[in-house]
Amino acid sequence: MTAPTASPAVCPRCSDEAVRTVAHSPVPDVWEVLQCARCLYMWRTTEPARRTSPGAYPERFRMTAEDIATALEVPAVPPLAAR
Amino acid sequence: MPYDDLRSFLDTLEKEGQLLRIPDEVLPEPDIAAAANAAGRIGEGAPALWFDRVKGFTDARIAMNVHGSWRNHALALGMPKETSPREQVEEFARRWDAFPVPPERRADAPWQENTVTGGDVDLFAVLPLFRLNDGDGGFYLDKAAVVSRDPADPDHFGKQNLGTYRMEVIGRDRLALQPVPVHDIAQHLRTAEERGEDLPVAITLGNDPVIPIVAGMPLRYDQSEYEMAGALRGAPMPIATAPHTGLDVPWGAEVVIEGVVESRVRQIEGPFGEFTGHYSGGRRMPVIRIERISYRSRPVFESLYLGMPWTECDYLVGPNTSVPLLKQLRAEFPEVRAVNAMYTHGLLVIISTAKRYGGFAKAVGMRAMTTPHGLGYVSQVILVDEDVDPFDLPQVMWAQSAKVNPREDVLVLPNLSVVELAPASQPAGVTSKMIIDATTPVAPDVRGNFGTPVKDLPETAAWAARLRTLLATR
Repeated sequence: MTAPTASPAVCPRCSDEAVRTVAHSPVPDVWEVLQCARCLYMWRTTEPARRTSPGAYPERFRMTAEDIATALEVPAVPPLAAR
Repeated sequence: MPYDDLRSFLDTLEKEGQLLRIPDEVLPEPDIAAAANAAGRIGEGAPALWFDRVKGFTDARIAMNVHGSWRNHALALGMPKETSPREQVEEFARRWDAFPVPPERRADAPWQENTVTGGDVDLFAVLPLFRLNDGDGGFYLDKAAVVSRDPADPDHFGKQNLGTYRMEVIGRDRLALQPVPVHDIAQHLRTAEERGEDLPVAITLGNDPVIPIVAGMPLRYDQSEYEMAGALRGAPMPIATAPHTGLDVPWGAEVVIEGVVESRVRQIEGPFGEFTGHYSGGRRMPVIRIERISYRSRPVFESLYLGMPWTECDYLVGPNTSVPLLKQLRAEFPEVRAVNAMYTHGLLVIISTAKRYGGFAKAVGMRAMTTPHGLGYVSQVILVDEDVDPFDLPQVMWAQSAKVNPREDVLVLPNLSVVELAPASQPAGVTSKMIIDATTPVAPDVRGNFGTPVKDLPETAAWAARLRTLLATR
């Protein structure tokens, strides 16, 4: 059985340190679901390292604070209609 | 008999040998997605997959690949499982003619058995959520139907929309939603946001097998998906009133999630491995705040793997994209014989048509691009003669190789609209489009040397039947 990882200090995707636990396994102590408060990346502690470990996380899927700030709005928020 | 819920359809799949129970304990990731991905790689006739031993969960019931083969798609529509794709499309088109079939409102929906509201809402407590592809930003609901109404015309039943849109779980009671601008829910949201109002939505999971087919179908804005479901089922679609929003939802759903799209809010979403075989995201997308969840006891969580085609998604949106295009084209051009729009939700379409006069086939191709679905998808059209089967790709390639004079028969039209997800669009949402006219020119288009085609011998059809009989009885 894979031991649950303690909450890591950083998000595998954006390296932010504000990581919270959003769910625990119904069978106690098997896994946790964690989430980065900045980029909202969510992962289960039993997933492969390529999804959970900052060192193994693929470069092409990483996200920076600037990526988040400049991300396109889809759909764009429309102007308020005149009342 | 049509299926009123997912469970009765899963029973049929099992009886028909089209549901495979995975006996061993699996990891939520990567096993469930990898198994569903593999279902699309083991050849024809892949079954639905059932998981109920998932590590860390006490009570998970997960169904994948429910529509993920031509056999399962045929069974979903109550046809024999051996029905060929072309025959399935033709039968689908025949049933379309019964549209609209008014739905039947029922009480006592099974999802009324359990309810959580307000601060008790926790998606993780109801659904065994899991990730699909490596680069996905999180866990997704990708086979749910989202119901919303036009805020400017809320009593119009036809303008109430039911559609499949990807939703990322971004909290216990929060989902990010992708309303693609060419889709109906984006119109509802735009109206609500112009007024500064939230848009109420109901999200239904684990539906009867016809709902996912109509929810991904490019109907006209004011056409009701429920009335189309009735036509495809051959019986009224059972619906019920969602208690919190008053929206009309499928009676037989496993789970009904109600809430609002928060007005004028966007949060980072994605990426997500999409039907195009490419990831899209991360972009800032609208957010749903969940206020109530109703669910059947021991709910079945149905999800769908998508990635590099073909996957379940391609079976699900193949016929339901081909038939609306066929109907919309035939309404003006009865010469159109068949439409195969099964490639990447109709980014590429093959149309078989008779020719009224020279240049006619190219006009049919242009019209395909200006249908409601064409505006957002149809980027490449191959036109073939009326005696070429657009579902028979070797025949299509013969027509293209033998009939096309590239300089005159390949038209490229610049700067047209397409879904932003189309990977080749540049900038996202804008693309050039191409018509390849592989039909035989007719007067006054007198190009080429097509006067003496070799046709099948008159006796060939009888011999084909004779050979089949001999093969079957030897």
